[in-house]
Amino acid sequence: MSFDLTPGEDLRQILDAAETMLGTHYPVARLGEGQVDDLAPLEDFGAFALAVAEDDGGAGFTLVEEAQLHVALGRHLVTPRALATAVARRLDAGATVCAGVAEGEGWLALDPDGAEAILVRDGGGLVLAALGDTTPVEALGHAMPMARVAPGADNRRADAATEAVARLLTSAQLLGVATGACDLAVEYARTREQFGRPIGSFQAIKHQAADMAIGIEQVSALVDMAAIALRDGHEDAGFQLSALARLAPRVALANARTGIQIHGGIGFSAEADAHLYLKQAHVLRQFLGADDIMSHSAPLTPY
Amino acid sequence: MELTPTSEDEAFRRAARDWLLANRPAGPAPREGRASRDYATDWLARCHAGGWSGLAWPSDYGGQGLSPERLILWYEEYVRARAPSALDCTFVALNHAGPTVIARGTEAQKAFHLPRILEGRSIWCQGFSEPGAGSDLASLRTTGRVEGDVLVVNGQKIWSSYADIADYQELLIRTEPGSSRHKGLSWVICDMTLPGITVRPIENMAGVTHFAEVFYDDVRIPLDNVVGDLHDGWSVAMTTLAFERRTAALALQLELSVKVEDLIALADAPAGSATAARLADLRAEAAAIRAMTWRTALREPATPFDGSLVRLSFAELAQKVHRAAMDILGPAGLTDGHWSHDYLESYSETIAGGTAEIQRNIIAERVLGLPREPRA
Repeated sequence: MSFDLTPGEDLRQILDAAETMLGTHYPVARLGEGQVDDLAPLEDFGAFALAVAEDDGGAGFTLVEEAQLHVALGRHLVTPRALATAVARRLDAGATVCAGVAEGEGWLALDPDGAEAILVRDGGGLVLAALGDTTPVEALGHAMPMARVAPGADNRRADAATEAVARLLTSAQLLGVATGACDLAVEYARTREQFGRPIGSFQAIKHQAADMAIGIEQVSALVDMAAIALRDGHEDAGFQLSALARLAPRVALANARTGIQIHGGIGFSAEADAHLYLKQAHVLRQFLGADDIMSHSAPLTPY
Repeated sequence: MELTPTSEDEAFRRAARDWLLANRPAGPAPREGRASRDYATDWLARCHAGGWSGLAWPSDYGGQGLSPERLILWYEEYVRARAPSALDCTFVALNHAGPTVIARGTEAQKAFHLPRILEGRSIWCQGFSEPGAGSDLASLRTTGRVEGDVLVVNGQKIWSSYADIADYQELLIRTEPGSSRHKGLSWVICDMTLPGITVRPIENMAGVTHFAEVFYDDVRIPLDNVVGDLHDGWSVAMTTLAFERRTAALALQLELSVKVEDLIALADAPAGSATAARLADLRAEAAAIRAMTWRTALREPATPFDGSLVRLSFAELAQKVHRAAMDILGPAGLTDGHWSHDYLESYSETIAGGTAEIQRNIIAERVLGLPREPRA
């Protein structure tokens, strides 16, 4: 069929397998125990070669499947090293890399443990460089280890195609964060009782949860549109990607915020997981960078 | 997942665009009364003559039987060509009453009503809400007493759009004495010319009269006009949920993208300004509505209630776009006949057909699975 947005059998199988792998190696509960993510299970799964042609040693799938995989990674709050690796391997097939963002005169490395290179969001573009000496820095309520590094000398700027992939996959992860925050809050609202009944039966809670679902639906529809447009080289790919990049961080932050609120007191504590989604959303938003939706022409312009 | 038009799809899109640009009416639609009806029925008759009416209706009933993607392609061309609003007085007949008769009507009902609807010869209105039954529709009290082969109807309906110019009404009434809530209701075709019917038009906050109160005083409706089984009206009314994915509501959702482009042109905001940022948000949100519209049409829903997500998103964005227009226009917004009118009309978006609050309850309970609220 030439028009079909039902996920195909291949995609469903990949996502089922990914869910099993992620549930085993990256349950969200691991983060409360201070565990540092090891990317080996993702390497073994072929997560970084999903969209690489089979002749080149990859799995032969496309950006559409890869984007959905990154939604799942986002839901499990997997380290941004996974995101950076997926992007950087398109520039350097052997890269062992962490993500980073330019901040002030220097760079901020995000969870740099074990990385040899850094993929940095620097102004409008992405830069791949060797990772120099790192100075750990306290960041966002122990969100994740971060370190300052001096900007690397032998930089390599990502080409437009890789930049587009980075924006798609980062947005997909933000969708995953938004979804995870919603799932957690809904589960809590179903079971937590006050005034003799589950708090999820009160409209004040329901309506906030509904808004989370609406945000997820908006961003997830755009992930589908943008991934397909990018994969197939549609002329509106830039527009779809910009719309996605504008909404994804906003929805991820809103859902994380609402998730904390629905949890009440425990939501403000570091003992529940609700705050982790908020912090991941902030980190991913900075790596995503700014959108440029007004620079594109819209697909539905009037005649 | 694929969004690749075939060469036949492209040819269809071109044919739709060419036809629309050649045939769309020159002047704006009159806002109320008989003139609004004539404008809408003339346009529908022209669409019918051109082979462009009943797009989503099965071909067995005179429709075009378009596939979901062709329907989307048509409506995208429709809104880009600025063809007349799909939400005119033909909307209920084409998107609600007609499909309900197709799904649940008798052969006689189909043979009589369907051609009239498709050709723009009969206009329908809805008769669901009552003064005491709004969001809580199942509490409705208008009765139909079975007397031989007729129903004798007494009571009152309200918010019935175009009742003043309609020929027929889809009427939901309590036919089983002593029944309550969803049980004992019937879905009936009411001829608006019957003795005992009084229509009192109500002016809306935009200064337009297109909805009305309808009073029924011993109105005698033949039992043959019941659609589906007697006392089974709730399930008939719910039938429409199943084809909501394929109605002209798609056009309204897509039209929002065109409105945002119009607003961007109107504002001419300097890059980097707060207005430009606001317009960028609206553009992105309209793109999301379009993406959701496509996906609703081109994917099996996880639950029958998934449509609430795009519907509420659309309603709230429509209001946001018009609020932005009023801010951008400044003093000109007080007298601008186009944006300020649509701005006032947009207040109905989060009320009509299920308030935003009811939609959020549906999403929370039916999509997310949160516990139902205790009911009286």
